[in-house]
Amino acid sequence: MTAFRKHLEFLHRTDDCRTLSRPADCSPQVVAAEALRAGGHAIEMEPGTDREGAPTATTVTLASGVYGGIDQSRGQRTTDSRHRQGYPWTRLGIGLGIDQDPAYTDVLESLLALGERRDERDVTYVERAADATAQDLRELGLPTPPDEAWPRFTLGLLSIGSDRGSYWAPIHGTILDGNTIRARVPAAVAERDRLETGAAVTIALGVPPEALAATHLLAITDRLETPIEDRGVGATVPVIPTAGGVVPSSAEVVVETTVADRQPATQSEKREFWERLGGGATLTLESDAIFTREEPVVPFTPLGVPLSDDLQLAALSLSATLFDRVNSYWGVAPVDWLLLPAEGRLGLCLVASEILYAGFEWQLANLLFSLSDCFDKVLVVDTEISPRNLGRALGDSWVKAHPSRDWLVSEPDAPSARMPTYGRGSGGGGGKNNHEGGDSETGARLYVDATWDPRWTDEYIAPRVSFDESYPPELREAVRDSWTEFGFERESMATVGDESESAE
Amino acid sequence: MTTSVTTFREFLTVLENAGALTEIETPVSWDLEASAVTMAANETDERIPVFESVEGNGTAARLVGDPYRGPRGREFDHLARAFDLPKPARRSGPAYYAQLIDRLEKQREPTVIEPGTAPCKEVVRTRAAEDRDASASANGSAKTNADTDANTDTNTDANLLEFPWPYIHQQDGGRYATLTTLVAPDPDGEWGRWSRHRAMIHGESRASVLFLAGEQLPNRYYYEYERRGEAMPVALTLGAGPAVTAASEMWIPVGRSEATFAGGLQESPIELVPCETNDLRVPASAELVIEGRILPEKRLDEGPFGDYFGYVNGPRRSMPVLAVDAITHRERPYLPFCVEGSGVGYASNSTSSLQVAAAGPDATLGLRAAGYDVAMAAPWPYTERTVWVIATDRPYPGALHELANFIFTTWGMLHIDCFVFVDREVNPLDSRAVVEALALHADPATDFHQFGVERMPKVPLNIYQTPDEKGSAAVGTSKSKTAKAYIDALSEGERPTQTIGNPEDRQRARDLLAEAGVAGVADEVDTMGERHSAIDQETDATRHQHPQHQNR
Repeated sequence: MTAFRKHLEFLHRTDDCRTLSRPADCSPQVVAAEALRAGGHAIEMEPGTDREGAPTATTVTLASGVYGGIDQSRGQRTTDSRHRQGYPWTRLGIGLGIDQDPAYTDVLESLLALGERRDERDVTYVERAADATAQDLRELGLPTPPDEAWPRFTLGLLSIGSDRGSYWAPIHGTILDGNTIRARVPAAVAERDRLETGAAVTIALGVPPEALAATHLLAITDRLETPIEDRGVGATVPVIPTAGGVVPSSAEVVVETTVADRQPATQSEKREFWERLGGGATLTLESDAIFTREEPVVPFTPLGVPLSDDLQLAALSLSATLFDRVNSYWGVAPVDWLLLPAEGRLGLCLVASEILYAGFEWQLANLLFSLSDCFDKVLVVDTEISPRNLGRALGDSWVKAHPSRDWLVSEPDAPSARMPTYGRGSGGGGGKNNHEGGDSETGARLYVDATWDPRWTDEYIAPRVSFDESYPPELREAVRDSWTEFGFERESMATVGDESESAE
Repeated sequence: MTTSVTTFREFLTVLENAGALTEIETPVSWDLEASAVTMAANETDERIPVFESVEGNGTAARLVGDPYRGPRGREFDHLARAFDLPKPARRSGPAYYAQLIDRLEKQREPTVIEPGTAPCKEVVRTRAAEDRDASASANGSAKTNADTDANTDTNTDANLLEFPWPYIHQQDGGRYATLTTLVAPDPDGEWGRWSRHRAMIHGESRASVLFLAGEQLPNRYYYEYERRGEAMPVALTLGAGPAVTAASEMWIPVGRSEATFAGGLQESPIELVPCETNDLRVPASAELVIEGRILPEKRLDEGPFGDYFGYVNGPRRSMPVLAVDAITHRERPYLPFCVEGSGVGYASNSTSSLQVAAAGPDATLGLRAAGYDVAMAAPWPYTERTVWVIATDRPYPGALHELANFIFTTWGMLHIDCFVFVDREVNPLDSRAVVEALALHADPATDFHQFGVERMPKVPLNIYQTPDEKGSAAVGTSKSKTAKAYIDALSEGERPTQTIGNPEDRQRARDLLAEAGVAGVADEVDTMGERHSAIDQETDATRHQHPQHQNR
């Protein structure tokens, strides 16, 4: 288990996080959104003198981009920060304790393990780290987005206690006054009796990456009915009891609350990305007690912008789920990796698979359409392509797939996809492509087969150009040995040949 | 008055001053080694290697690996430096395009200088008439004598094999000259036409040249010279300076001259000098000039070659033959070369950078000149040539079809398979924004369009056709046809949030991030035309400066 502050320490240690003072003249959400748009470092904003006054002991340090932040479509850029290698899953993988340079599928499998059912409970209860108290939610100094009146928290964990155990779910919301929170929680949670008016629930901020990732995974797969003590995350993250349910013991901020009201959702409500998949509901919560660690630090993300942390958590969670499903279906596991790039906001799915037999790529793509209604475009690539090279995978859709034979569009009578703007997720229609008859509930699906035709003989298969495949091993070794003598940086050589290492 | 560089050596000095170049004194071999080092540098966004000592090299020529490769994400930066464009053009794709288009609109006529002052005549070597290709002499029009009043010795032993042409990928069919400018006659003008064509070396005096029908110069050869049974006089130049190289990558309309566009780019006339053995004029500062003739009815093998698709295309095909009549060059010439296919996925070699930094602005200008209101047209960075992204509006129904149709039937015929149309607010060089547009706005039911099924010509370098489908057609296109497509990824006002806060706050935020050392904030932004960080991070300054030779 990695405490959130430990996670930040790792990011600093790997030169992947930059610190700045929280500006008085600019919303932290704007700063975070611009950092995400740059596709660069994660950022940590230490308390400064902001518009709302001097910081207190319970004013939080803010961290953004700590679960994603990398624009993979641009590739590695050593000119930005020499030799800083990172992928969209790197920071979460570090947080999950996998490795400094985690393999993509290891991240997916670690995510899946957090959500797995366990036959026996193995929960660790420890002392709460957050022992300072605040009288007023506003003392936390949570950031206010531009053009909004109230401070907002994001990437929170909701815990609801019961006789069977505690149920965790993602939560975000606004601080209406010193005691009142208007919160968004999964609809599946809000619909249950446990969230009747007067029920005690607890919000934890700055929880271990395992705990936060688990909430997103469980929310988007609609598996919130099982206490976390019976899932992998319950055996991974030490917890403490609170008035609501158990929360991670290392949480930076713990807010015990009571459900004051349940309200209808409105279209104007800002949403974290998991809500696009599972639906959300609005609650009013009254704060009963606030605990913080010393110099608390919490993650936050601007909502709705490209590459935000909530989007990346949803993308990785859905990727993990689909990866597991397609490899559990045919008795064999043909899929090497599956990726929903955050750049495409879950409207596009890439899958690298062995083609078991002619037509398997059709079967695979259409199974994915059946398993998720997020996207209507699937790109199937060969397993020689690494998930680290999104550019190559996308490039194969153009150079390897025949433009008239391998771009295959179905009849427009399939259910519309949720994420594209022309589909049912467009929120009230008005998209450009209401299909014939005005029925926007159906649409077409496209899959691109960028794999080699299994009927082709070896002589038809074009060899790849890459450092590993274009030069003999003795020469590659000689180049590596002389790299610094040639005037190049020692660290950069470590990444040569990375492109071809599909096996990671 | 700007101070654009005009020669390849000056360009190397610009790279050196930017800390973007490393001079390698250790002897390396042309036999895969120089290319392997270059590919590794390409893949890692490292410095550009200059190989000062190349083994087995009778002329002491030097190799330069992918000198036009720009920093990843700012592929235009080195050319922006070379042309001394204002600083925003080094940071922002849209700003670079605007500045370069402005240069292209102010063309300048070249000047002709005396051979005695032309750097490319420092060494002049011609082949004796009796040594020239026998079949060529029957058909050709080469002069019989070197008529230069040269400033150096004139020898009679022009020999391609004296130069260290790199063997680039181990699957290649031979050694190649790749970063070339082919100069050919122009019946409509006096300066000749320039175009880039690679050449596979076959011996002391012969090479095969990749001539694909559909391109202007190959068309002239296949449908005029060869039909008349005549050899086409040409000059294959290397290292002729950034403006010449950039102009050679462009599609300049018939009746215009690449030389005048190159003059516009560098804001000074290109200096030309007459050839020794034909009536063509070549850039005087070129590092090396191979004069010769493309012979009629003669073919030699060309390929396989690790090409810009990132794959080794094959099989070998027959291509026209360049017969060498003379070679002139500078002392210890620099021979730039491109490791094609390296780093495909994330544009990172000379071709991909030149496509972004030269072909893109030229295409944007050309489309505007043809009456299409495009904000930007740029190659999709993952594929260099196969897919282009065009930021535009849809002013009337059918406008996108008409625009795609125009390009497919003109300059985009052979290499381009698909266009992606995006909102004019989307920067085509922002791959994230383009992926988003494809994922969210391109409806499979209504927005993916094909121009018929397999009715269009295709360059045989592709890998999705079988060798049988490609064949070895006489004029260099595939035997089988292909399809052309376009994708309408315009959002119709449904584009999701890209930024929050007002422009001033975003600017302030970027300044703060730059101060804190956050990577990338000084780079181009997604929104076209937006201002850039006031704190212009000089990332190059963080590079180690290596001792370099100053006296090129």
